[in-house]
Amino acid sequence: MTEMKRPLPEVSPESKPFWDAVQEDKLLIQHCNSCDTNIFYPRRLCPECWSKDISWIEAKGTGTIYSITTTYLGTTSEFTKELPIHVAYIELDEGGVRMASNIIGEGAETAKIGDRVEVDFVKANGDFKLPLFQLIKS
Amino acid sequence: MAKIAIIGYHEVPTQINPERTRWDIMEEVVTGAIRNAGISKDDIQGVVNVAPQAQPDLISQTAFGLIPEHFGLKNVKDNVICNAGGASTTNCVRMAEQWITSGMAEVVLVPHITVQSDIAPEDLITFFAKAPMHQEWEFPFGMTFNGAMALITERYMHETNSTEEDMASITHALRDWASRDPLSLFFNKGKSTEDVMNARMISTPLKSVECNMLADGGGCLVIASEEYAKKHCAKPVWKLGHGSDFLGGTPVIREDIFWREGYRKSCGEALAQANLTVDDIDIHEIYGAYPFTQASYLEANGICEPGEGARYHAAGHTKLGGKTPCTTMGDATGRGHTGSGVSMAFYCQVARQLRGEAGANQVEGAEKVMMVTSGGSGMNTLATIWGN
Ligand SMILES: [Zn+2]
Repeated sequence: MTEMKRPLPEVSPESKPFWDAVQEDKLLIQHCNSCDTNIFYPRRLCPECWSKDISWIEAKGTGTIYSITTTYLGTTSEFTKELPIHVAYIELDEGGVRMASNIIGEGAETAKIGDRVEVDFVKANGDFKLPLFQLIKS
Repeated sequence: MAKIAIIGYHEVPTQINPERTRWDIMEEVVTGAIRNAGISKDDIQGVVNVAPQAQPDLISQTAFGLIPEHFGLKNVKDNVICNAGGASTTNCVRMAEQWITSGMAEVVLVPHITVQSDIAPEDLITFFAKAPMHQEWEFPFGMTFNGAMALITERYMHETNSTEEDMASITHALRDWASRDPLSLFFNKGKSTEDVMNARMISTPLKSVECNMLADGGGCLVIASEEYAKKHCAKPVWKLGHGSDFLGGTPVIREDIFWREGYRKSCGEALAQANLTVDDIDIHEIYGAYPFTQASYLEANGICEPGEGARYHAAGHTKLGGKTPCTTMGDATGRGHTGSGVSMAFYCQVARQLRGEAGANQVEGAEKVMMVTSGGSGMNTLATIWGN
């Protein structure tokens, strides 16, 4: 794979546990203990009930492609070397979490809605990792 | 409730033309709209400017009062700008309405100017990749505006079994309107469904012509109270109803992914307020900037069966002479995307249609128009209904 030089997320205090965990190959999501809702993206308070009693749980890292696009043109220059790039919405198996990511690896170019995927932690710029996804081989 | 009306409008052609400066356009549209209204500049009592995107200098200039000063509008009581992305014009008109119905002003000027062609392409790409996308949760994965809308379109096609050809027919219809509109970047440049399908791929399934070309433009409205409009205007365009729905800021986590619920709620509210049904509407002007919105609007309003929106376009019903004329200004896809100004162009088009001034795109006998605008990457759907 081409070495990535991605623009990196500006990590905020409330999202730092998520990104720290990604660097250790773990995918965390927030869970509201008051109303039993999974929360994504991370926040200081639960958007459903405003509780601050929020814990981090480790996701299995598996999910389903909700939608996918292959982008050929129009990204900012950091992505140019990676084009075409497969951008997807992934629904995690934990429920209530839909996240944007990329499909990489074998079969990515024919990946489609409904395909099963699992997370892969990939160095996206220097040592900083992003959670990307690969197809689960059936 | 006291009514308001559009009593004057003026718009410059949408172009990619850095020679035409922001204040060149400002002078043309402000003087043009006030002359079109047939009133004096000193009748204007308020200025509500549509905030342009990616132009911080113009934002500061207009936020801090240069429009009334530049034009010597001696009786203006207040000046403000409003930024709700592409929905801004609706919000500006609503602000004007508040000023009028609260008794602060009788006549309010609502301008919008944008020049994007003198901004470096990389800066524009960066702006439109970051501004409406989430910088932390979407942008690092190569998400672009086109990419986000492509993801929605892919899912729409999956759920409704719409084909690429069905989807392409929407852009064909928009470009068909545009081909007869001298204000469009694509005047005399129609595209067949086959042309659309053969265009360069940007983000599957969206081809280049199904995405937006950034352009320059400007327009201006003169909004007046009922009493003033009746006294001074031969052809006022009356606001009959309004409805709003907020869908969410970040596309990936938005529940109402196709904006259907937003269209259903906001249009339903506007129709109820106007005491009309959808069958009373002669023209639907849908500012969604991407083709799937033209389809889901029809489904949301029960104009076709759920999931049949794209095929309804493919059947030709939404074109000139069809039973449901839709988006006669061509949407951003058919017009050129002037940032927040697309909604301004929509309002000018509504005024043209209801005054019988829409030229080759005139829908004969049009009396009621429903228009919907959206801001950001689809954060809201704002419906208004207008009549003559
Ligand atoms: Zn909660």
